[in-house]
Order: sequence, then C-alpha cells, then structure tokens
Amino acid sequence: MSDWSKVTRPIPVPNEWTKPFWDAAKEGVLKLQRCQACGHFQHPPYPTCVNCVAIDLAFEPVSGKGTIYAYTIMYHTGDKRFASAVPYASIIVELDNAPGALMAANLLEAPYTEAKVGRRVEVTFERLNDDVTLPQFRLARGAS
Amino acid sequence: MWEHRCKVAVSGVGFSRVTRSAEIPLAAHALEAVKGAVEDSGLAMSDIDGLATYPELPATGHAVIDGVTIVSVNCMMAMLKLPNLAWHVQVETVNIGGAVQQAVNALLAGVCRYAVVWRAMHNPKGTYQNLPGTYAQGPAQFTAPYGFGGPGQGMAVAYTRWLETHKQNREKMATLAVTQRRHAQTNPHAYFHGVPLTREDYLTSRMVAYPFCLYDCDIPVQGAVAIVLTTADRARDLRPRPAYLAGYGQRLAFEVTGRIGSLSSYMEGGRSSSRLTWERSGFSPADVDVAQIYDGFSASVIYGLESYGFCKEGEALDFIQDGRIELDGELPLNTFGGSLSTGRIHGLWHIIEGALQASGRAGARQVEDVNVSFVGASAPIVQGTTFIFVREPY
Ligand SMILES: [Zn+2]
Repeated sequence: MSDWSKVTRPIPVPNEWTKPFWDAAKEGVLKLQRCQACGHFQHPPYPTCVNCVAIDLAFEPVSGKGTIYAYTIMYHTGDKRFASAVPYASIIVELDNAPGALMAANLLEAPYTEAKVGRRVEVTFERLNDDVTLPQFRLARGAS
Repeated sequence: MWEHRCKVAVSGVGFSRVTRSAEIPLAAHALEAVKGAVEDSGLAMSDIDGLATYPELPATGHAVIDGVTIVSVNCMMAMLKLPNLAWHVQVETVNIGGAVQQAVNALLAGVCRYAVVWRAMHNPKGTYQNLPGTYAQGPAQFTAPYGFGGPGQGMAVAYTRWLETHKQNREKMATLAVTQRRHAQTNPHAYFHGVPLTREDYLTSRMVAYPFCLYDCDIPVQGAVAIVLTTADRARDLRPRPAYLAGYGQRLAFEVTGRIGSLSSYMEGGRSSSRLTWERSGFSPADVDVAQIYDGFSASVIYGLESYGFCKEGEALDFIQDGRIELDGELPLNTFGGSLSTGRIHGLWHIIEGALQASGRAGARQVEDVNVSFVGASAPIVQGTTFIFVREPY
C-alpha cells in the first residue's frame, strides 16, 4: 500500500470556471460541469459545451461511481513531494453516465497492484486544508 | 490529389552538437544547425529569406529566456542579420511540423524563396521538469495534486488503456527500442551513437512510470537541428538531391485542454492528420517504403502505426516483430534511431530522416529503393503532423 501520509500535494487553485467543482468537493459532493442544452457532462470544465457548443453550463452532482479508464504506476522519484508514496497508482476514472469526462485521481486504500483498466471504483474525499478537499477514488465496495 | 504536390522540397539539413544538458547557450546550438543546413544546400546565408520555428519549451515550468531556454525567430534574426529576409513565423499549436508546413505554404505563395526551419531543445542542468509548485493552477489543478507531474505519466495512462484493452504485453516493445538503437549506430549525430542496447537491457531496466521503463522514454538533451526548404525548381539547382513533399496533414480532432489519458484522442488525432496526407499525396500505407514515426515515448509509435493505417488497432506491437522494421524489412522504421536514440529533439529529426531517405542521402542506414517516405512528426494527440516525401516527382 502506498504511504500517502508524508506526501505534500500541490494545492489546486480554483478559478471562475472550476470553483463550483471545488466548492462541492469541500462539502463531500462530486459535481461535474453539465450542458443544460444537451445534457453532456464534461471534465475538466470548459467555457462551452464540447458536444453542442452551448454556453449554458451548470455543475450537477454525479453518482461518484465509475471505472478505471487507464492508469500508471509511478516509480520515478523526481518529484520529492511524492517520493515517499512511490510506487503509487495514478488513475484516470470514467464516471458512470458521464462518458468522456475523464478524471485524474489516485487509487487509495488498496495496493497499487489493484489498479487495472475496467476496475470499479467510487469517489472518496481527501481533505488537504481548510479550503480545499480533493476528490479521490477507491475500489467500489459491495454491489455497484 | 493535391495540386501542389512535389512543388516544394527539403534541400539541406543541419545538426548541432548534442550535450546531455546545457553547457553553452541554446542559441549557439541553433546557429550551428542552421549554418549546417544552409551549407549542406550549397547556399550562402544571404540567400535565406524565410524563417520558421516552434520555440516551445521542451519541459513544463521553466522560464522563457530567449537564446537560453528557447530560440525564437527574433533571436535567429538577431544572429543571422539576413539582408533579404522576407517572411517569418513561429507556430504555437502544431509543434515543429506546423512550422515546416507554414514554410511550405509561404514558398508556394511565393513570399520567400529559401526558408530555414529549426528546432532547438533546452535541457537545464539539474531537474528536467520544473514541477508545479505549492499551488496547481490552470489545467494542472486537476492533475498535479495526484502526482501527474510530467509528460511521461500522461502518455503512460493511455498506454495501459491500450495494453489492457487489447490484452497485449509491454515486453514486446523491446523490439522497437533495440531495433531503433541498432539503427542509431550508423547515425553519428545520435546521442546514443556508440552505445548499444540489448533486449536484456530493456527487459531489466528500471520502471519510470509503468508501463514505461527507462528505455521507453527519450533522454532529455540540449541540441538543435535545421532544414532548408525551397521550391522544387530551385531545389534542383542546389547541391543535394531534393526530397519532394508529396503531401502533408495536421491533427484536426479537438481535445479538451487538461484532459489526459484518452486513447481515442490519440487515434482520432492521428487518423485526421494522416487522412489528408494520404489524400493529398495519392498514396496509401501499402505504398510506403520507409517510415519515421515520432517516439518521444515509445507508445507514440503504437498510436502512430495504428492511426495512420499501417496496421489494425491493437496490433502494433505484433506488427513491429519478426524483422519488419529493420532496414531491409517490410517497413523500415525510425531508421535514424528515433528520439529514443538521438535524444529529445522533437519531430524535426523525423522530418530530416524522412527527407534524407527520400533523397538517397541517408548513408549507411539508407534503405534500398526508397521512393515513398512517410513521417509522423509528433505524437498524434495534440500536435500531430504527417508528411510524405518522395524521390521521384509525379
Ligand atoms: Zn451541449
């Protein structure tokens, strides 16, 4: 199991397009940007709908369950802030009902060898400081 | 077919010294490469009237210091003081292949006669990546907190997607690394010239970002390469045999900034670029005699071979086996050694080799009877460009 306890993560800085995502995460809710015209979810947030080009976009809660679309196991210790967690799994999650909205995360609460394409995962939240909480993922529990 | 096929050609090519990291200002490397290309053409520097480059930093986060970390058109103008300069550009979205294509367009438009394109790559002493600091801004806010610090991991995720979707084995990639390194032993400009690589070396090397081991990643270096482009009629009067440009294409598929890992984006990007190159040139993958496909990370070759149409999706690691990519194989590939052997100089090296093979100037690594020479000059996802050079205009 990767030891994350000594890792110092870069702190995300929300901007006007991404603030609702981080505000929701702080409350323990995963919200993604959704086009109000065609219903398309997208991530990272973008000024227009990448599907239909509408600008009427809002952040809506999503289930937080999905599958590992892709992953990498990091061995390189070039970034000293992450060196104590090496080897660790950085994953790309495709959420149910939001195809194409690929989210980066780490696979938490499991050995890095559990990262495989297609594994079911669910969102969990990692508090970084008083202002920022990071959505993360762990293997899905029970029936999903 | 493209009405302008074979109306522009690559003439001279030039190389700078290559060092592991910066010892002299990058501008000196760029100047050395440009002078070499002009001399190779048999031209005088005063003949050059067009300049183009892609001056992007090779790694994220470093300060832009012109002449030190990048070499802009402005910097080159200051060094060359060209009396007849008539046109210049530096591109942003299509990498160095886009700079070459802009120079082609300028030559076809008649706004310059002899254009030089260079790519100069900086590698600072110390850490290659200047990683995101305490705070992750912009697109990095969704990736850097999870340890996605460099391009290797971003490329690696699409590779696991490919490997596991197609039930493939990364050990097959040893054939690419070993074959390219063998090709490089006839390329004195390659960083790893004189340094052989065995299958055992590859299979036992340390992991960097799984599935990438050390030999799946091109080594960051400091160096530059350059080419002279001119119209076909002028090229015929110069010293080297011309490599005629039969067609080109660029990636046309959209990708959301900051989204990483999408294998389908690589494939769509490569298909959109190569489709135009095949249509414009009138050739198909079966017609290609030799191919250079960008290999900054080894998996880019997979995405290139498949999205350009050389083999089916999921089959690239089988396609490269059994001698097919050797110099005397069915599709000699990255015959100069690729970026994995030259060091990280980006796709202008692939364009140079494509031109050298088409003009019969590749020396000891020349593939026999080359007419159609294909180049995929960047990873297909964001900045992909493709080219075909031919020996015989048609
Ligand atoms: Zn829409």
